Amino acid sequence: MTEETTPIGSIHVSPKAIATIAFHAALLSYGVVGLAPKNFVNGLTNAVVKDPTHGIEVHYDGQDINIDIYIVVEYGTRIKTVAISVGETVRFQVEKALGMPLNEVNVHVQNLRVSDTD
Amino acid sequence: MVSDTSVHIPKTHYEQFHDHPIDGQGLKQLVSAALSWLKTNQQIVNKLNVFPVPDGDTGTNMVLTMQAAFDEIATNPERNTGKMAHAIAHGALMGARGNSGVILSQLWRGFARALDNQEYLDGRSLVRAFAEGRDTAYKGVVHPVEGTILTVAKDTASAAEKALKETENPIDILTKIIPAADESVAHTPELLPVLKEAGVVDSGGKGLFFILEGMLRYINNQSLDTPLTTVQPLSSMNLEGSLNTLEPGQDYELIIDFQPSAPLVLEGFYNQLEEIGTSIQLGEGDGFYRLHIHVPTEKRYEPIDYTMSLGTITKVSMENLVEQMEARERESGETKLPLAIVEPGQIAVIAVAPGPGIAMIFASLGAAAIVEGGQTMNPSTQEIVHAFENLPTDKIIILPNNKNIILAAQAVKLLTVKQVEVIPSKSVPQGLAAIFCFAPDGEFDSVVEDMSTAVNEVETGEITTATRTVEIDGVKVNEGQLIVLHNGKLIYGTSSLEDACLGFLEKAQTKQRENITLFYGENLTKQEAYRIADVIRSHYPNQQIEVKDGGQPHYQFIISVE
Repeated sequence: MTEETTPIGSIHVSPKAIATIAFHAALLSYGVVGLAPKNFVNGLTNAVVKDPTHGIEVHYDGQDINIDIYIVVEYGTRIKTVAISVGETVRFQVEKALGMPLNEVNVHVQNLRVSDTD
Repeated sequence: MVSDTSVHIPKTHYEQFHDHPIDGQGLKQLVSAALSWLKTNQQIVNKLNVFPVPDGDTGTNMVLTMQAAFDEIATNPERNTGKMAHAIAHGALMGARGNSGVILSQLWRGFARALDNQEYLDGRSLVRAFAEGRDTAYKGVVHPVEGTILTVAKDTASAAEKALKETENPIDILTKIIPAADESVAHTPELLPVLKEAGVVDSGGKGLFFILEGMLRYINNQSLDTPLTTVQPLSSMNLEGSLNTLEPGQDYELIIDFQPSAPLVLEGFYNQLEEIGTSIQLGEGDGFYRLHIHVPTEKRYEPIDYTMSLGTITKVSMENLVEQMEARERESGETKLPLAIVEPGQIAVIAVAPGPGIAMIFASLGAAAIVEGGQTMNPSTQEIVHAFENLPTDKIIILPNNKNIILAAQAVKLLTVKQVEVIPSKSVPQGLAAIFCFAPDGEFDSVVEDMSTAVNEVETGEITTATRTVEIDGVKVNEGQLIVLHNGKLIYGTSSLEDACLGFLEKAQTKQRENITLFYGENLTKQEAYRIADVIRSHYPNQQIEVKDGGQPHYQFIISVE
């Protein structure tokens, strides 16, 4: 539970709420065609999940907020660049919505989706 | 545009591309032109950034992506367009930067796939390539956002399909889709509210437009070096000197305000000016135009003559950039202080210095931070705290170097958790004497003690001009006379600088000392300072005399005798 104390009381933001922001930010990033659960094993691209808590993990240890994102990237894009922009977009959107800094945003590319082979 | 007539005209790009099949090398030329034109307009695209979004400098990202694409093919002799297109796509993929770069690389990827093994680029394959580029780009994202480069790619592909119904010539098709791309870019704020709020069009879309337009401009033999934002509002002209380096032919900067007697024909206007200079910008507002241009020395009057031929000039300003650049270099050379780097756990010295030269001397003797200030401008306690609060140590020694600053420096202790000691140096020479005893790795208390003791081992002389007639301690001076202070006490009034110096030195019993250091102020020239040093030398031949540029205001000399 992420929290902040104000003069009139505390504000609690649940990890799931943060995950939802990150989820939408990630899906708006170019090159990301879906999120995948962490323990996604083989190339089951159809198993792309719609529930954000499966593809996004929010960790809060009482001090730092860390986010892990598990994504599926379009084959034929520069994976590194896509991963960087996902990380930046998620960090920006979450920090903007939350008003608190994030410590780490880790992007894990779980799979590629092949729409066209070259 | 050159028309296709039976009269033989010299081979132009237009003839080459319009009347002959476009092969891999032709495609390379077009990519090169696209890159040049995008680079020329890079800042325009960068400025379209909707602050604050993470994908920062779209223009730069797209230029780097196109540069990587071009680098990949720069020396490639391939004549097959399909193969060349694949090489371009590969380069773009590997060099893709930022969101816009990735999308651009996807457009090239689709473009290349459509041309697979195609020997020449004809109208049909061009249209197919645009369509395939669009489809590939759209596949790369779950929720395509409209009002972005994707929309511009889509509208361009549609326009190409439409154009194919009228012509199969690829250049004619390209010519027809440029206005469509332009219109699509202009329409982006209607599709994406964030653009509308920021009052801009989409940067990626604009970049794509420049890429396409660059190709067409090359074919039409138009310049690729001058940004053609056509006319911008006066307020958005960037006339501040942000040049870091001067290229040859940028000796003078001219800014000309003029009122043309007939509507300006921009094309001809730019063409004419490009013959004369570079960095051309044109702004419009309040019924006149403002032209900005950089020109070589020999052409410095030509823009004036030219604009005068178009109408009435209301104002001209001309600046010598070479001279400015040199002046800036001199300045930056002076302000860069060789401050000591402090390691955690070491002691840091913060010195208050009344002039750039003295600041430089303190820095070179091991001060970790300098606070500007002196007799007439006492720094605040806060300014002193700012100087050291970010240093990676909590052992701080302050040299106020002026008796009026000692109190402010001591008040610092209340504002910081760091361990602060103030050495009560009442003058620059005392501060210098103290810093000579400074040891960054020493034991804090003993260093403070050493430095405090050193303060009293130096005689300080200060020479300045009396601002009013006054009598203190039995010494009477008149307004405008030079006054001499010995360790802060008024001892002497005179009208000659030599007299003032010699009077002080005698009072300070210089004969029994070894070193005399003269810091001359900003109101004295170097020659004058050295002349006086020579006079002093003739009186004190056994003493070591040093002259330093102190740069302090108001004081002709600060003299240290030790």
